[in-house]
Amino acid sequence: MSTSDDVRRDPGATAVVDLAASEDPRAVARTLREQPVFRIGEEFCVVTRRSDIESALRKPAVFSSGADAVNLGNVRPLIPLQIDPPKHVKYRRILDPLFAPRHMAALEDEVVGLVADLVDRFAGRGSCDLHEEFAVPLPCTVFLHLMGLPIKDLDLFLDMKDGIIRPPGNSTGDQEPYRKKAANDIYAYFDEVIQSRGDEETDDLLSRIMHAEIDGERLTAEEVVDVCFLFIIAGLDTVTDSLDCFFAYLAQNDDHRRQLVDDESVIPAAVEELLRWESPVPAVARVVTEDVEIGGCPVQAGEQVMLLLGSANTDDATNPSAHFVDLERDPNPHLAFGGGVHRCLGSHLARLELRVALREFHRRIPDYSLAPGTVLEYTPGLRSLHTLPLVFSAAG
Amino acid sequence: MKIRLDSEVCQGHGRCYTLAPDLFDADERGHCVLLKEEVPPGREADARSGVENCPEQALVLEED
Repeated sequence: MSTSDDVRRDPGATAVVDLAASEDPRAVARTLREQPVFRIGEEFCVVTRRSDIESALRKPAVFSSGADAVNLGNVRPLIPLQIDPPKHVKYRRILDPLFAPRHMAALEDEVVGLVADLVDRFAGRGSCDLHEEFAVPLPCTVFLHLMGLPIKDLDLFLDMKDGIIRPPGNSTGDQEPYRKKAANDIYAYFDEVIQSRGDEETDDLLSRIMHAEIDGERLTAEEVVDVCFLFIIAGLDTVTDSLDCFFAYLAQNDDHRRQLVDDESVIPAAVEELLRWESPVPAVARVVTEDVEIGGCPVQAGEQVMLLLGSANTDDATNPSAHFVDLERDPNPHLAFGGGVHRCLGSHLARLELRVALREFHRRIPDYSLAPGTVLEYTPGLRSLHTLPLVFSAAG
Repeated sequence: MKIRLDSEVCQGHGRCYTLAPDLFDADERGHCVLLKEEVPPGREADARSGVENCPEQALVLEED
């Protein structure tokens, strides 16, 4: 068994570099940045400084995002995340236009309606679990609408994504059966949906992916499934994580919350700043394909590398004011969506959801705080909360 | 003041054309297209904001 297997088998070994679960990830990152590379075992290392992370993201041939970089239960590479250039370009040429900001803007009214529906369910109650009642259902509901899939499948989708990202058990060995089952469910679900769609074009994202052509060719049914698998892994939990982080921050920082409530024009910049500050996806995984030096430290071919985006985003070597929150920060060239050729495909959809969520929620519930006695417990890997109980004056 | 774009480096983060839509535009994939290479008088701050918010450093400002 290799050391990297040991590390994966024992999440405790990586806890020290897990910014996600930390109460103060900025402080953890500051300590880690004292060294450019933090090594765990012999074949696993963590890159801590912005300059090194940037250059790694921009060298996809050396820092491969291939299927070896992270275990997500899939049996074929996820498209486009686990495909390296040059083939990667083909997929992004098909998918990028479908997720371009202008295309996403057309969804705004629909997202406003979905946010309003969710908030109206608890606005009159004076309390809610923001995580369970808002942050979890919103991105999944948006996704089902976008893909033209039935809303009744919501719980099924949540089970599938949790089975991969948050399986029960404390070791990779315990978690593996859950991950395998969820992966099988995802393959079976999309195999069937794609088959039943046949050749008829409909006005939804899934249909557009199935019918998009590149150099006169469509994606195969298998390729479409591998894209959909990635959507479930990358597009649902990450927005939930961001919403948990944002609302937990705003519940504890009245001045910043009032700033948004008093002036909605601050919201787009606030979304960028809270993404930077919280870095809900604190790291991305790569495998090194040849011997390299990172910040003067030798790293060998085959080693697994974690690029700590959360540390890059708060690195005061490149940004002297990185250690405080400024909701109107400009410039704010953060790496919360990664960078290089694998820049998050869904970033513009995520921004739309986060922007609309902040605006519509605060129009209805401008003042709130954590329920008395709440101790926030962030989750490992991706920075989310198990529960986020809020209290406020009941509306209406 | 001139804006220079390295299209090879742009990855479609979209920060530039969101912040200054009359100076920067998006192509079909959401990658940056320069609308104006020469920054119009009075628009220096917006040009700077578009350039400096790029996480890839695909944009550069050339001062006269």
